[in-house]
Amino acid sequence: MQDALPPKLVCKGLNVSVRQELSRLWPRPLGANRRMITIRGVHKDFSIDGAKVTALSPTDLDVRRGEFVSIIGPSGCGKSTLLRILAGLETASGGSIDVDDGDRARQRVGFVFQEPVLLPWLSALENVRFPLDTARVARTEADSRALDLLKLVGLTGFEAALPRALSGGMRQRVSIARALSYDPSLLLMDEPFGALDLITRDRLNDELLSIWSQTKKTILFVTHSVEEAAYLSDRVVVMSPRPGRIKTVYDVNLPRPRGERTKLDPAFHQLMADLRRDLQ
Amino acid sequence: MTIASILIALRSLAIAVAIWWIVVLVANVPAYLLPAPDAIASRFVFLAQTAELTKHIRVTLGEIGAGFILGGFLGVAFGWLFVRVPLLGRLLSPLILVLQTAPKIAIAPLLLLWLGLDMGPKITLIAIVTFFPVMAGAAAGFAAVERPYQDLGTLLHLNAWQRFRRIELPFSLPPIFAGLRIASTQAVTAAVIGELMGATYGLGYLLSLGQENGDASVVIVAILVLSTIGWGFHELIRAGERHILSWHASQIGLEARV
Ligand SMILES: Nc1ncnc2c1ncn2[C@@H]1O[C@H](COP(=O)(O)OP(=O)(O)OP(=O)(O)O)[C@@H](O)[C@H]1O
Ligand SMILES: [Mg+2]
Repeated sequence: MQDALPPKLVCKGLNVSVRQELSRLWPRPLGANRRMITIRGVHKDFSIDGAKVTALSPTDLDVRRGEFVSIIGPSGCGKSTLLRILAGLETASGGSIDVDDGDRARQRVGFVFQEPVLLPWLSALENVRFPLDTARVARTEADSRALDLLKLVGLTGFEAALPRALSGGMRQRVSIARALSYDPSLLLMDEPFGALDLITRDRLNDELLSIWSQTKKTILFVTHSVEEAAYLSDRVVVMSPRPGRIKTVYDVNLPRPRGERTKLDPAFHQLMADLRRDLQ
Repeated sequence: MTIASILIALRSLAIAVAIWWIVVLVANVPAYLLPAPDAIASRFVFLAQTAELTKHIRVTLGEIGAGFILGGFLGVAFGWLFVRVPLLGRLLSPLILVLQTAPKIAIAPLLLLWLGLDMGPKITLIAIVTFFPVMAGAAAGFAAVERPYQDLGTLLHLNAWQRFRRIELPFSLPPIFAGLRIASTQAVTAAVIGELMGATYGLGYLLSLGQENGDASVVIVAILVLSTIGWGFHELIRAGERHILSWHASQIGLEARV
């Protein structure tokens, strides 16, 4: 009877079992396209003097591992609220959030505020090391990691400088290095470059992209700039005015790595125009 | 403080002593009212040699040190509690207001009745006068820690002690030091009042002893030693402040001068 089996079918069967074996060994091969954040019906109401204010209408959003997603929308539409809920700084009034963070339960998420939020009595190095010190990481290890990160954000030579001796852009880079110091797989950034001039902003955008490609982090990035959103992202989420909800999600298919050529790409300008129109 | 500023201070002091001396000699002031500077100096040397003066100084310094540390510690602790547990602040603030507006010196007789003539009532009085300015400064400081810094503590999963030690306390040190500086002068006054009302040792006791014996030179020696202590204490706190708060805007410039 065995001879009767068509060889083709045997071959196909073998293939299937090999694939199963592979997916047993690496349940999610390469981690690509795997969903990391699942947001379902998350909303937030604040009560101000007894009056209910809806900061965020029920929102659904999925973010894949390693994805760079920008959120853009008019002021007060709930972008910060969404990010703060994700970071655990605010509790949602309802809905569910699932962050699949591998085996590392209770992982600390990376968060970069609009302001650098550095501790003014600590040097740049000590500020970057702060999350490691408070988690009782050994000093030598913490030091070497902090030094690497300061190098990554281009601040070698400023290790001993106090925040007040650094420029706004340098402070923001220290704050990014601090958020990376504990190696979070998820990095939430709330208008991190909003207070900076355009030239510094452009440079930090390029630095951020190179950090992102080196560290393979998932990044959620809130911005008011359509150019920044289009330049950086894999996807751009546009939110509508209050009460905030997600209006449109754009896939950005501009080739990577992005650079000066991206800014000349007609598709880039088309996307910016679309985003701008959508925001009105 | 630079050498130059010390020299300037010494020069003004020398001029004041000279005027004093001339007035005493020219106007023929009786010694039981205002002795000449040389009489004071010899009295000082005499008191220092009998070791009585050092004992008085040691007692007063001990009271000030213990009371100041106790009051400062409690001031910071309660300042923190009132900000972190607003209910507690609301419940206790009327009581605190009453205590704060009452002249704290008026409590001294009560403390002496309760705690005897030893160092206990003086330390308590000093702790009380230290407590209020430090508590007020600490509460203002803790209340002013900005939201993003509290968020940072939450993001990094800091426990309550780490938040206090690593974020809240350093941020609140400038107003706490302002409170400590106010308290430092009041502490010396409180020590003297406590000792004047009943004591067996201390510079305040020396004052009352001089008064009883009609010996103005002893009184003046005690006053001079007390103002030196007050000044030194204040300077000590300033130096600590400069050292610890070198990062703070209030100290920039001072840093350059020192
Ligand atoms: N702690 C709070 N208490 C009360 N209302 C709040 C609070 N935080 C946010 N809100 C309200 O929620 C709404 C959304 O605020 P949020 O900060 O998320 O907006 P945003 O999209 O980040 O705006 P922006 O672009 O200006 O930063 C606003 O209307 C705001 O008034
Ligand atoms: Mg915001």
